[in-house]
Amino acid sequence: MIDFEEELKKFHPSLEVDEAEEAIYNQDLTDMADIVVGMVKDLNNKEEE
Amino acid sequence: MKCYNCGCTLSEKDFCTACGADVSVYKKIISTSNRFYNDGLEKAGVRDLTGAVSSLRQSLKFNKNNIEARNLLGLVYFEMGEAVAALSEWVISKNLRPNKNIADDYLNMIQSNQGRLDTINQTIKKYNQALAYCHQDSLDLAVIQLKKVLSLNPNFIRAHQLLALLYINQEEWEKAQRELQKCLKIDTNNTTTLRYMKEVESVLAMREAGRGKEKKRKDEDVIKYQSGNETIIQPINARESGGASTLLNMGIGIVIGIAVACFLILPARLKESDNAVREELRKVSEQNDLKTANIAELEQKIAELTQNNTDIQTQLDSYVGTDGAVETMKYLMDAVAAYLDNPEDIEKIAEKLEKIDPVMMAADGTDVVDTLYEKMIQTVGPSIAENYYDTGYESYRRELYEEAIPDLQKAVEFDQKNGDALLYLGNCYRNTGQKDEAIKIYEQVVSQFEGTEKARKAQNFLNEMQDEG
Repeated sequence: MIDFEEELKKFHPSLEVDEAEEAIYNQDLTDMADIVVGMVKDLNNKEEE
Repeated sequence: MKCYNCGCTLSEKDFCTACGADVSVYKKIISTSNRFYNDGLEKAGVRDLTGAVSSLRQSLKFNKNNIEARNLLGLVYFEMGEAVAALSEWVISKNLRPNKNIADDYLNMIQSNQGRLDTINQTIKKYNQALAYCHQDSLDLAVIQLKKVLSLNPNFIRAHQLLALLYINQEEWEKAQRELQKCLKIDTNNTTTLRYMKEVESVLAMREAGRGKEKKRKDEDVIKYQSGNETIIQPINARESGGASTLLNMGIGIVIGIAVACFLILPARLKESDNAVREELRKVSEQNDLKTANIAELEQKIAELTQNNTDIQTQLDSYVGTDGAVETMKYLMDAVAAYLDNPEDIEKIAEKLEKIDPVMMAADGTDVVDTLYEKMIQTVGPSIAENYYDTGYESYRRELYEEAIPDLQKAVEFDQKNGDALLYLGNCYRNTGQKDEAIKIYEQVVSQFEGTEKARKAQNFLNEMQDEG
């Protein structure tokens, strides 16, 4: 049986158009490639040291 | 595929042929991202939008520069009614690859149409408002608001789902099912939609089962058999109704008919009749008002006409009355006739002239009549004055002052230069105790006949009277 109150909690307000800019700036764009490249670079640096 | 270290194009080798960097893991990451993109594309193709979103987000987690995946994710969001999320993805995509990017077209499509952008914003605001209503327990308002949202943006999945949830809460299962079906047409594999749908369908199935049993029981209450080509359905417990029950049924039918007439038809008729009477009354009232207004107007006219009549009558009286100008004119003509008849008959002329009121002469205002009157006075005035003076003086001399006054007054009236008459008139007044009149006359003598004996006498009398007073 669906619990209305619990289901309602799953719905969140949508972002308005004016708020989109802030959302874009705050988006974390770090991807797996960034992490791996970072790790490789760290490894290389350590080897050089 | 470009080398993350130097940016050169990579070959099939696990290292960069330009800088020698190890790109084996990097290649796997990029390839995984592409695989997720392909998966997302496939899912989007069969309208599994939720699945597509999931795959495309995974793809971007592996490679944020996968522009195709990002653009597709924006497109999927837009299809789901999430316009702001779509715009965000396209803006990021445009920043990552400014040229030759389809996101540019998508953004232009939305930004060039201000009306569309406003509609999107309005939709979002209304959805948020509906959600607020839900939290405030104003569920009816929330339903209304969500219907508005969906009329503006029919693909807004979350709004459909929230509306379906509200219907489920209100146990309006058919409506909830319709909303969920709309959801499934847009996004075939949305977990929330499917969950709600399962709930709704289970309830509807239970209901259907209940109705099925009912129907079956009804079916069992009849006997069906084939007679030739016809199927005969006969109730088991049906009995042939007898004559008494027929009459009873007819009676009940009549009673019901009368009741219907009394409760449904009669009130309507009464209301209709009442309305007709009211209408008639209103018309009569309007006519009455109109007539009252007419009467008032006529009464006012009567008053005006009566006033006019009175004025005219007054004017007429002034013309033809005893003191009127016509009468004055007559006396003047008589005087003129008497003069022409015998200029020496002063008494007769005087008698006629005396009847003329100088005030009425002034009121008449006709130059010819005035001139004639003045001529008459100038011609016969002194003679008449002398005649009156003689009579008055005789009375004065005999100390009959009361009798002398009218004659002396006439003498002065007809000849204002007759100073003696004026002085004696003053004396008469003085002797009869009319002090004010006497003073007035003496002052007239002093001013009119200055430097004469009469004036000196008059002055002496004035002085004496002042001494006495």
